[in-house]
Amino acid sequence: MGEIEVTALKGVNLQIRKNEYVAIMGPSGSGKSTLMNILGCLDTPTSGEYLFNNVDVSSLNDDELSAMRNREIGFVFQTFNLLPRMSSLHNVELPLMYAGVNKQERKDRAVNALERVGLADRMHHKPSELSGGQRQRVAVARALVTNPGILLADEPTGALDSKTGDEIMALFDELHNEGNTIIVITHEKEIAEYAQRTIFLKDGNIFSDEPNSIRNK
Amino acid sequence: MQFEENIRVALRGLIDHKFRSFLTMLGIIFGVASVIAMLSIGEGAKREAIAKYQDLGVSNIIVRDKDLTVQELEEVRSKFSQGLSLNDANAIKNIVPGVEAVVPQAEKSVEVKFADKASKSTLIGITPEFIEVLNYETGYGKFIDQMQYDRGLKVCVLGAGISKTLFQSREPVGQMVKVEDQWLEVVGVMKSKALFTETVGELASRDLNNDIYIPLSTFHKRFEPENELASELKQLTVKIENSEKLMLAASVVEEIIKRHHYNNPDYSIVIPYELLKQEEKERRIYNILLGAIAAISLVVGGIGIMNIMLATVMERTREIGIRRAIGARKSDIMSQFVTEAVAISITGGIIGVILGVGLSLGITLFTDVTTFIRLYSVFIAFGFSVVVGISFGYLPAKSAANLKPIESIRYE
Ligand SMILES: Nc1ncnc2c1ncn2[C@@H]1O[C@H](COP(=O)(O)OP(=O)(O)O)[C@@H](O)[C@H]1O
Ligand SMILES: [Mg+2]
Repeated sequence: MGEIEVTALKGVNLQIRKNEYVAIMGPSGSGKSTLMNILGCLDTPTSGEYLFNNVDVSSLNDDELSAMRNREIGFVFQTFNLLPRMSSLHNVELPLMYAGVNKQERKDRAVNALERVGLADRMHHKPSELSGGQRQRVAVARALVTNPGILLADEPTGALDSKTGDEIMALFDELHNEGNTIIVITHEKEIAEYAQRTIFLKDGNIFSDEPNSIRNK
Repeated sequence: MQFEENIRVALRGLIDHKFRSFLTMLGIIFGVASVIAMLSIGEGAKREAIAKYQDLGVSNIIVRDKDLTVQELEEVRSKFSQGLSLNDANAIKNIVPGVEAVVPQAEKSVEVKFADKASKSTLIGITPEFIEVLNYETGYGKFIDQMQYDRGLKVCVLGAGISKTLFQSREPVGQMVKVEDQWLEVVGVMKSKALFTETVGELASRDLNNDIYIPLSTFHKRFEPENELASELKQLTVKIENSEKLMLAASVVEEIIKRHHYNNPDYSIVIPYELLKQEEKERRIYNILLGAIAAISLVVGGIGIMNIMLATVMERTREIGIRRAIGARKSDIMSQFVTEAVAISITGGIIGVILGVGLSLGITLFTDVTTFIRLYSVFIAFGFSVVVGISFGYLPAKSAANLKPIESIRYE
């Protein structure tokens, strides 16, 4: 298979502060997910620098990147990405397991996280026994359970109807008010309006980067 | 991540995918089962051989008068050989170092009668040490004792088979049987012996349960030899005190007999212990072959694990990506997959052990092949399966750990 080099991002220069709530918008293929993967330490840029808490991420080795993802970053994906054969509780416990937290504390914290997203009564259900909105809330609980520095959400409402989408966004609002840094990728204007700031990508470039008038009143 | 955690994750993976796990295990199951079954067949053959030679006495040297035609007999007699005799017995007893006992034995084919029943039999004249030196046992009654021997009494002990033929369920001890023109009182019956179905060395196979034992003194006093050229004795069983001196003693025995018989080849010497060693040597090659076949099947089982696990890694790319995204290190993924491979092989190993034990019991039950399972073979098979599991689980585990998190989470 011949490999064609695709430049997904170029000339991106941005800074996100603690407790900011940022929306990243742009048409399909504009590089939103690529940006999020870099921010989430899942991917490293071929050139350029990414400083996370003043640490140059490109200088980290694989184990350090894993630890970073584990402790500092919480992911929420469009397609939830839960492990299908495990209960909600188990899914939420998983990051803590990789963090080396002992069993009892793990369970307590996972139950806590599920309570925060309003799903404590569904903790023994498997993903297949939950609705889309509920699955996404389990995913949010999983992202939160390690108390990460940032919550990264790639089209978190993309697979949900607008009512459950709003519920998830309300949850994000709450988390933001509790002091979390949140970055949400979306191509829906209504979703972006929850954030304080919107970065608009186009063909791998930052097209615009402006504060959100509605939120910053 | 702790070890215990790994096991839990791995076992979960196995339970969640029962059918796949079972398929993965099949190779190991059959591998372990065949190792156990084959080793048990080898061990069974060994025990059978040992039992066979133990019957003859592993510290015995057996000198046998050869079965010769009248013509051959005339020839050796003309060359001064008297055939096997009590002279030989005495010489061996006096000269050979470390002799514990020499049991002379005379034989004659006869017809034996009781009431309206008659049967062909071999009449055997022996000394009282016979029963001990040849590891025989009486079923009931007593064997011929020293007093009966010294006085040359007309008493006999029946083999289990001939006793059954003549008496069925009646009590034989105390009854009189007629051999040729002599009436003999039955004083005991031998325990049944395994059929001597194979020729051992130069000892022809025959049914030992059909023999009738009488004191050698009685034999010589009351029964005519088969012909005037017949040897005095048919066999000498020489028991050596110390089996380390067996080979030395055997060479002295050979030397004495050779000289007494003026170099005539009218005797043969059988050393059960040496035959046992020899057979063991031959069987070793056969055992190595069996073991190799079994080991190959285990390795094939390991390759099965590897194949299915490699396919599994592809199928589970997304799971691996998710785990990596939420903080699993390469080593966590690695140990998850290795632990799964080990869990598969341990579980497969346990099932294989059960199947293997069942298989060898079945072989013993439904065929005439003797099997015997030794504990060590179970450990070998089981240990080997775990080693195979780890070795062949390593490659898939490595490929799982080396998947790029970003690519695996995108994987559809
Ligand atoms: N693994 C990859 N291999 C090749 N091209 C890729 C890969 N990932 C992303 N791209 C390309 O990079 C560009 C940006 O993709 P992405 O960040 O997924 O866009 P968005 O999330 O905004 O839809 C697209 O042109 C896409 O085709
Ligand atoms: Mg995308």
